[in-house]
Amino acid sequence: MTRLLLYAAFTVSTAGAVHAQSLREYSSTRQDHGESRLAATIKYAGGTLSLMPAPPGILYALRLTYDADRFAPVAQFDPAVPRLTLGTEALPRSGGMRVSYHGTPPAATIGLGTRADLDLDIELGAAEATLELGGIRISRLKLETGASKTVVRFSESNPIRCSAAEFSAGAAELVVTGLGYSRCGKVDFHGGVGKVTLDFSGRWTGQVHLDAGMAMGELVLRLPRRAGVRIAFDKFLATFAPAGLVRSADGRMWSSAGFENAPQHLVVDLETAFGGVTVEWID
Amino acid sequence: MSASRALRLAPAVALVALLVRPTVALAGEPSDVLRDVWTRIQQITPGQEASPDRPRPHVVQSAADAPSISLRDLSHPISLERSIRAAAAVPPAQLHLTIPNGQARLGDFSIGSDQTLTGDLLVLEGTADVYGRLDGNLVSWGGDIVLHSGAVIAGDVLALDGQVRLEGGEVTGEVRTMSSPAMEQSPTVAPSPMSHLLRSLAGTTGVFLTMLLAGFGLVLFGKTPLEVTSDTVRSSFSRAFIVGLLGQVLVLPTFGMLVVGLILTVAGILLIPFVVIVFALLLVAGVVGGALAVAHAMGESITRRQMAQGRALSPNSYRYLIVGLCCIFAPWLVWTLFGWVPVAGELMLGAAILISWLLASVGFGAALLSRGGLKEQFAGRFIPPEMLTDEFLWATPRYGVPAVKRQPPDSSR
Repeated sequence: MTRLLLYAAFTVSTAGAVHAQSLREYSSTRQDHGESRLAATIKYAGGTLSLMPAPPGILYALRLTYDADRFAPVAQFDPAVPRLTLGTEALPRSGGMRVSYHGTPPAATIGLGTRADLDLDIELGAAEATLELGGIRISRLKLETGASKTVVRFSESNPIRCSAAEFSAGAAELVVTGLGYSRCGKVDFHGGVGKVTLDFSGRWTGQVHLDAGMAMGELVLRLPRRAGVRIAFDKFLATFAPAGLVRSADGRMWSSAGFENAPQHLVVDLETAFGGVTVEWID
Repeated sequence: MSASRALRLAPAVALVALLVRPTVALAGEPSDVLRDVWTRIQQITPGQEASPDRPRPHVVQSAADAPSISLRDLSHPISLERSIRAAAAVPPAQLHLTIPNGQARLGDFSIGSDQTLTGDLLVLEGTADVYGRLDGNLVSWGGDIVLHSGAVIAGDVLALDGQVRLEGGEVTGEVRTMSSPAMEQSPTVAPSPMSHLLRSLAGTTGVFLTMLLAGFGLVLFGKTPLEVTSDTVRSSFSRAFIVGLLGQVLVLPTFGMLVVGLILTVAGILLIPFVVIVFALLLVAGVVGGALAVAHAMGESITRRQMAQGRALSPNSYRYLIVGLCCIFAPWLVWTLFGWVPVAGELMLGAAILISWLLASVGFGAALLSRGGLKEQFAGRFIPPEMLTDEFLWATPRYGVPAVKRQPPDSSR
């Protein structure tokens, strides 16, 4: 009987099983074979993402560390269009996404070539992303973030003109810097909840139109002092700190001094419900 | 062994190799023969990188019943790896594979600079060195792919559990690598039954003691509301349960209406943070206080039943709470002790959650019905006038628990 009890106690104390998360590494690279344009879509559900210009001679490069129990890597290239899809996709019945990882967290590094004109769509889930887009030839940009912290940086000028940049954020912290370098004539932003900073520093010419809407949260506009700025604001229970702007007679428009004579113009349509909009000037 | 001795050995080894496997060596082109010989020399000669665990390079023969693996589409490396892993799970001597429009090799393999291979190529457990041209896809499993200067792959490249080293080669298609499944650096270890028991016991005991302390505090500073809520539980159990259910359903809509109402008043927007905090505190107080009232009621019923059986006990609220909380936590204790048992553990957990939810609903409903213990309407303390008959008053003692005030004689007339 004693032996039986000891055996039972031993069984009880040692019957644990090891459940390991199967992290895998995946990489995909394609050399540049003279593609002049590329429609690229990046989908990334969770983890950290770094996007940057690829080294010369590379059309794109992806390096992933991902949870193979929940996600599958995606690297599809259709040379006929040409169209590219990179990132991860959730496996069916994967049991949701893990937020905490004890060891190496899921991560992705993506490099995009600097020779082809890119029509770039980026869809982020619960990711922490740093997107360095300076130097990449972007003809159109669309970024959708979910519950994420995203930094978009244009540290170099876009070699080509960009027709539009669209940003939409759910419950997110989004910082976009160097929008002047993006050379996008139209910038759209639509946010749900969170804090968003749109920095228009950089070298830009002509007129840029910003259409921004935010439901609840803080929107910070960092505007170059030399530019002529006109802001049309439609607000509901929101605060607005129009530092250095002059209000129009009807009370719905704010303009910087010398707007008409400024070499560059930034026309802003703002719409927000709850929260605040702050204007900061940069030299 | 020195390099000069290795060089002296090389021709002899090559001759032996040719004699041992003449069918394989002589089956291909002269350049193939030389390459096979050189590969064997590299493997046999000490001082080279070849490991004794590496298989001897040879062509993986096809057979009628051999598994067929297509390398035409490499965009799904996971399924491809699964197929290769399943096919390679046999001793090398028994390994047979069919590669449509291609070939499979076991061990190190190289394509010479003057050589052009047509068709897909699978290299198992070896390094693929490419100096020449391959018109097809190249896949390695358990080895690296090295694309030397001048190499051309007119197709895709995939290294499963290996690396692709681009040393000047050109790939017209895509270069992919995929590692084998690796454990996370700090794998989570499912708790053993003993650790599960200890952790659960600690958690259950902690919650029990917290509730007990909260209950004692309530008895000390709010005994009357606690007793009124407890009496509401005993007197209006079903009503309290229904009200508790409705309360759970209406909590969020009520909160939403409150916030929206405050927003619409504009001036009330400033009050929203306070309202949120107060609402949350009231909710917690209602749920916890209600649960403690249920424990109080259960303890009181059990104690009085024991006293009716002749046991000498001290009927006080502290005892009621201890006894009641023990009853409420009994299912959790059972789960703590036997929760590690497969299936049954989950059932016990579900039962404990269900029982706790039921009791918490009753307590929450009682707290709502009694307005936090301030209203005695549902506590069973009022005796309706029609009950105040002479028989009732005559049979009811003037002192004691159920005693009520005897009405003055004038009022009965």
